[in-house]
Amino acid sequence: MTQLVLHNYDLDDACYRVRLVASCCDLPVELRNVDMFPGMEQVSPPYLKLNPLGRLPILETADVTLRHTGAILLYLAGLDPQKRLLPTEASALAQMMDWLFFAERDLSVASTARAISIMDVPGDGPATIAQTRALLRIMEDHMSAQEIKGLSFFAGEEITLADLALFPAFALSRDCNIDHDAFPALRLWARRVRATPGFVVMPGIPDYH
Amino acid sequence: MSETGWVPIALSRFIAPGTSAGTAVHGAEIVVWRDTGGKAHAWEDRCPHRGMKMSFGFVRGDHIACLYHGWEYDETGTCRYIPAHPDLEVPPSICVTRYAVTEAGGMIWTALPLGDMPEVEPNAPDMDGLRSLYIDAPLDAVLAGVKTVASEVSQTGALITATLGEAPLTLGLQTIDADHSALHITLPSDTPTATRLSLLDQFATLRRNVESPLKEAAQ
Repeated sequence: MTQLVLHNYDLDDACYRVRLVASCCDLPVELRNVDMFPGMEQVSPPYLKLNPLGRLPILETADVTLRHTGAILLYLAGLDPQKRLLPTEASALAQMMDWLFFAERDLSVASTARAISIMDVPGDGPATIAQTRALLRIMEDHMSAQEIKGLSFFAGEEITLADLALFPAFALSRDCNIDHDAFPALRLWARRVRATPGFVVMPGIPDYH
Repeated sequence: MSETGWVPIALSRFIAPGTSAGTAVHGAEIVVWRDTGGKAHAWEDRCPHRGMKMSFGFVRGDHIACLYHGWEYDETGTCRYIPAHPDLEVPPSICVTRYAVTEAGGMIWTALPLGDMPEVEPNAPDMDGLRSLYIDAPLDAVLAGVKTVASEVSQTGALITATLGEAPLTLGLQTIDADHSALHITLPSDTPTATRLSLLDQFATLRRNVESPLKEAAQ
């Protein structure tokens, strides 16, 4: 088994996505904790050498260094011998990718809104919160339709990488004062995600135990 | 606003056993939760300990526990357990305020004024919940929007019946606050999937049409 090293910050939602997927795929990951806040260690010279973008997470193996969350998630899901988070059928795989790109690209504003709220990052708080809410509404509309079709998850009947990539933005939305009141379909979906074998939490996401 | 009587606050099927959710009626925050035995509850959304929203908490059997310090309340709203003092016999004066609650027509209802316990149940036909649509607009604007797309619209209290396309609908009306409303959309259980999906689209369009002029006016 390839040794996987995750440069990690526990409060960062993108790092959490990586820990969550690794755990659900039963893949052991060695954590190197980085002082992202307030230390800004991710932009220190040794870290800029690993990732000139100055961001976490970074996944290192003997062969590759990956620095985009989506790429890391796809790599981990592919390493899983059971490939349990990757649909095999082309259309289901495409839908998974569609939502994975949504999570990585569009929904990055949710991470920004949260960072402004809790990590003192500069930016337009109210605007990013409004954008986040509009994106959660798109997710709510989709899951309302999925339920009517008898489908429990974003890309079909089974949980995929897309669900785990989307979950943190919803589960952590209260960090920037977006309640779950107006998202009943997402509440039921989040409950199903929580029931996935290997599911783990992060600070800000209660484990209810 | 002086709305009285039963008001719907959720679709029954979206409050699964063992879960809780927050909502509001005319600005008053409410936690609606269902115990693991299936019984629904509507309480003030506030833990008497530190004021934390109970809707952030979690359900354990027929108790709901606060997320902050785990104080557990039984179905009468009385605090039964304080984890920091496991041996303490909790004084019975520590209570969450309970409101009227019932289920009818695929919806969970509470009654206004909050705390009022009506003797007569809401009169709602047996229906399936389609979805709760949350709209950033006053209820008047939502109703005006419904009337532009639906026919045979008729209102009784917080309930309207209407026909959209071929579909006979019952819509539960909830005023969340002056600028936010919810439509709890229900329909007959034999409504085909294709009709349900088409209705979802029509209501998403309705929401857009109702919200757009308000958003433009705000800019």
